[in-house]
Amino acid sequence: MRLTARPRGLRRAAGRSLQLLALLGAAGLTGCATAPDEPRAAVRGEPAGPERDRVLHACRAAATALRTGDYAGAKVRLDDALARLGGLIVDDAAAARARSLFAAEDTKVFLGEPYERVMAYLYRGILYWRDGEPDNARACFRSGQFNDAGAREERYSSDYVLLEYLEGLATAKLQGDGADALARARALAGERFRLPDYATGANVLIFAEYGYGPRKVAAGPYGEQLRFQVQDSPSRSARLVLQEGRMVVPLPAYDDLGFQATTRGGRVMDHILGRKAVFKAATDAAADVALAGSVIAADQAHRRDHRGKDGGGAEAAAVGLGVLGVLGKVVSAATRPEADTRQWDNLPQRLSFAAVRLPPGEHAGRLEFLDREGRVLTARTRSVSLHVAPGDRDTVLFFSELPR
Amino acid sequence: MPLPRLLPPPVLLAAALLGGCATSEGVRNPSGVPVTELRPDERGFVAGTGIEAQDMVAVTDRMARSILGIPQIARAANPPSVVLEPVVNNTRFPVNKDIFLTRLRTQLNSKAAGRVSFLDRDLMKTLQRERELKRSGQVTASADPNVVEFGGADYFLTGKLDGMSTRTAAGTSDYVLYSFRLTDARTSRIVWEDSAEIKKQGLEDAAYR
Repeated sequence: MRLTARPRGLRRAAGRSLQLLALLGAAGLTGCATAPDEPRAAVRGEPAGPERDRVLHACRAAATALRTGDYAGAKVRLDDALARLGGLIVDDAAAARARSLFAAEDTKVFLGEPYERVMAYLYRGILYWRDGEPDNARACFRSGQFNDAGAREERYSSDYVLLEYLEGLATAKLQGDGADALARARALAGERFRLPDYATGANVLIFAEYGYGPRKVAAGPYGEQLRFQVQDSPSRSARLVLQEGRMVVPLPAYDDLGFQATTRGGRVMDHILGRKAVFKAATDAAADVALAGSVIAADQAHRRDHRGKDGGGAEAAAVGLGVLGVLGKVVSAATRPEADTRQWDNLPQRLSFAAVRLPPGEHAGRLEFLDREGRVLTARTRSVSLHVAPGDRDTVLFFSELPR
Repeated sequence: MPLPRLLPPPVLLAAALLGGCATSEGVRNPSGVPVTELRPDERGFVAGTGIEAQDMVAVTDRMARSILGIPQIARAANPPSVVLEPVVNNTRFPVNKDIFLTRLRTQLNSKAAGRVSFLDRDLMKTLQRERELKRSGQVTASADPNVVEFGGADYFLTGKLDGMSTRTAAGTSDYVLYSFRLTDARTSRIVWEDSAEIKKQGLEDAAYR
């Protein structure tokens, strides 16, 4: 049956239906294809989720365990995470899906950004050292530094001062020559601060962290750009005050995770997400044009119908353009260029370290955090008690400003 | 223009495009992969460029064969006593170092047919406590507990893992040198040394780069 053979009433109804379809498509589906204007941040303390987020949950739980003194629990979780972080993911269905047009990046297995992987290795290294395995600790520090390799700008590649310094200290403790690592650490520190020489006789290693780490946000028209927000912590440095003030151990910020997160440069995935965004925008624009054409053609058909002329060709064009427009909107809406903002959200901002010699036994003191001008942030000061073990094994202490 | 002729191409296109979104076509192993039993020296599908089980098996097998061939072991009048010292890890991979020496010891014990004996220094504290109990008469003794019978080492066996790593846009490369040595406890001479080297490289999925 040809459209021209339809009764006039039916043609009118069909014309109105086409207009309605086109308007609905234009109005309703446009909303699906657009992204939020504001960058969106992931929320803190997400509940345990699917298997692909296993590393993420293990890392968060490990940091909490470390801060609450559950070192065995932290080890189990970090080993679980590092078993995945240490491998190479190739020929992986989830990764392929994440690269495809119609699946979001966060459908892939979470391995984190380099600064997150580095922290998993740093924490595990601290625990290895605590267990009297400085060589395995050194392996972790090296792997951490290795994970920071490949930044777009060479000067930001493997540029953790603390990891380099600790690698050399572990080597020196193992009767090796840590001079090269110390030199590299000092070069990375530049003029910011003077790194102390290795005190191989030190029996207490103090790790400290303060401030909240960087936050991932999705920016860009479709949330396709991964960005980092750094809320600078007032705690610029710290110090451990022992023996009723007679001994003050400075704990300067060797590394800043905010700096590390924002100096990596782009990822390969950013290009893929960029292409997805272009595709989404192009299909959306094409759909807009088709729907606009459909409305015009439907109107034309309606006018011709009023004038008693045959509007069948225009109606057919309106239907075709309408279907194409709707199809384009559906495809655009189904395209998922959003950057993966899953994040290890209980990381610190600043990392510090000191090595001192203390007699075995109990020691009481206080941990103070200092602002930019070096004034004590008294509200943040906390009392600490240390137990220094006798024997050859180093006592490893871990202090965090973060509650969990 | 007839409507039926106009509609099918877009509809078919929509069906083709959207059909791809809804199915698991193109997803490898959507239902998972069942547990597979592998030989320890076999490379599995879960792999990295680090130190893995198959490397440890290959290296310790080779070292055990090599040690048994040296004259100090093969032609010794009495089985020499060997003490294992912890392996030093100088790579970027945290490893369970004991597993190397444990497997080396079990390989040597099973293949040496008594040509070499190992002293269990890990149990020294327990053994000393037991001896004290015997000396104090708190437990029975089948021999005079006052006679020193703890064996002294003729040789120390230890090893070291060294590594070199590279990471570029082209991928990740890791080289690990596994070296083991047998040192004469009396002279400090290294009477045997051997090494194995393994290099691996790979490039991970673009989604993770």
